[in-house]
Amino acid sequence: MLVAALHATGQKSHTAAYNADSLYKKQTISRTQIQLLFAYYTQDGDHSAITGGVGTEWLHVYSPEFTITHQPDSNRALSLNGGIDIITSASMNMISLMRSSASRVSDRFYLSPGYSYRLPKTHTRLGANTGFSLESTYLSFPAGLSVTHTSPSGSREISASLQCYFDDLRFGRFTDTYPLTLVYPIELRDTSWFSFYRRYSYNLDLSFYQVINSKLQFALFPEAVLQKGLLSTPYHRVYFDDGHTERVENLPTERWKFPLGAQLNYFAGRRVIIRSYYRYYHDNWGIIAHTFQLEVPVKITPTLTLSPYVRFHTQTAAWYFHPYKQSNTRDKFYTSNYELSALNTYKTGLSARYAPQNALSHHYFFDALTLRYSYYKRSDGLYAHILSLLLELEHVCPSRTFVSPGTKRR
Amino acid sequence: MRLRNLVRIAAGFLILVSTGATTGCATVKPYQKAWLNDFNMRLGKTDIEKFDESVHTYREGASGGGNGKASGGCGCN
Repeated sequence: MLVAALHATGQKSHTAAYNADSLYKKQTISRTQIQLLFAYYTQDGDHSAITGGVGTEWLHVYSPEFTITHQPDSNRALSLNGGIDIITSASMNMISLMRSSASRVSDRFYLSPGYSYRLPKTHTRLGANTGFSLESTYLSFPAGLSVTHTSPSGSREISASLQCYFDDLRFGRFTDTYPLTLVYPIELRDTSWFSFYRRYSYNLDLSFYQVINSKLQFALFPEAVLQKGLLSTPYHRVYFDDGHTERVENLPTERWKFPLGAQLNYFAGRRVIIRSYYRYYHDNWGIIAHTFQLEVPVKITPTLTLSPYVRFHTQTAAWYFHPYKQSNTRDKFYTSNYELSALNTYKTGLSARYAPQNALSHHYFFDALTLRYSYYKRSDGLYAHILSLLLELEHVCPSRTFVSPGTKRR
Repeated sequence: MRLRNLVRIAAGFLILVSTGATTGCATVKPYQKAWLNDFNMRLGKTDIEKFDESVHTYREGASGGGNGKASGGCGCN
């Protein structure tokens, strides 16, 4: 007992001496990641749904966006995503209650805060998010819950997320001149085409990640989507085959979608990665689609990666789609929106990612800069250019004070 | 015919997944994860693809379902 007591006393004093003398200090690291995304989009085509499947689809969008993720410790994470889309469109002039010019500018604002929490002593993380999205003809409130479980070895992850959107399609939030109302094509405003204006979307997204070996991993993304309410767009025109009838697009008030995606990533060699993606889609409006994407990031240097990619998408038409002046007046549902037509799309482009992970100052780090260009072509003639620039910064506090400005972090 | 195609594709996925899950998976130690932890090996969409995904949502009737801005915008043109 005496030996045990002396040993215990010795241990205590040794620990006290270690704590007093040691430079080691246990601290909680707080991280804040800042992402700034600037995107520019331009398109042109000749099948605008606003003018019944004919007419220009010329459109420009500037879309700055930010995402801030703050992790005060390893368990909690707060995020805030927001941005604005500045849209200039030729055919949106045909939506306005007041025609003004050949093209019209519209804005969309959105903000979405989120919070996630890792349950203590588990590998399970719970999350919630909400927010709003506001546009002249659209108001949307999203709300979502998510749960993610990672296996102790980190080689498998399962997650489920339920995202709900509560949308209002009335026009007139940015003006006092007009009452809040659904906006119809100007020549069809003598009829109240719809008695309801809300749209509800419920998206159940599942994901399953699996490490197969040290260079190969795989993921499955099954989803189920239910949309109810006003799924027609009230300012989309439809012209019928009798030559004189014109109506507002009319689509069913319920839609089920079942996308199923699969991804396989392989590290081939020392510099090349193969990212492959396939997505199958089926819905109850008659659309079946297949999407393939192949991206091959090549590490030019340890900090610079170039990623060329190609994407191919093919889909069958919805039962309700007919081109300009081919819908029948006896049909219950009809649209001339080419997004619901049988089509193929092709996309190719290149990403360049520069990730020096340099310290900008005592606690601030420049993580990465990514530039991406895409050319998009739809088989009905629509084409688009997309340019995105992503800047990633990070603030780490209070540790890592050993990193001086200008030195490499890793 | 549609149902048959659906069943075939679902069966293909199941075979792929079960093959991967039962025969292909090896235990990877933390020190063997250098390649897996590479940024480009991340599963799911990357952040730079965010805007591209919203374009697909608006320009292809078969998109949607939680990717990108699946709701909250008319995508007018």
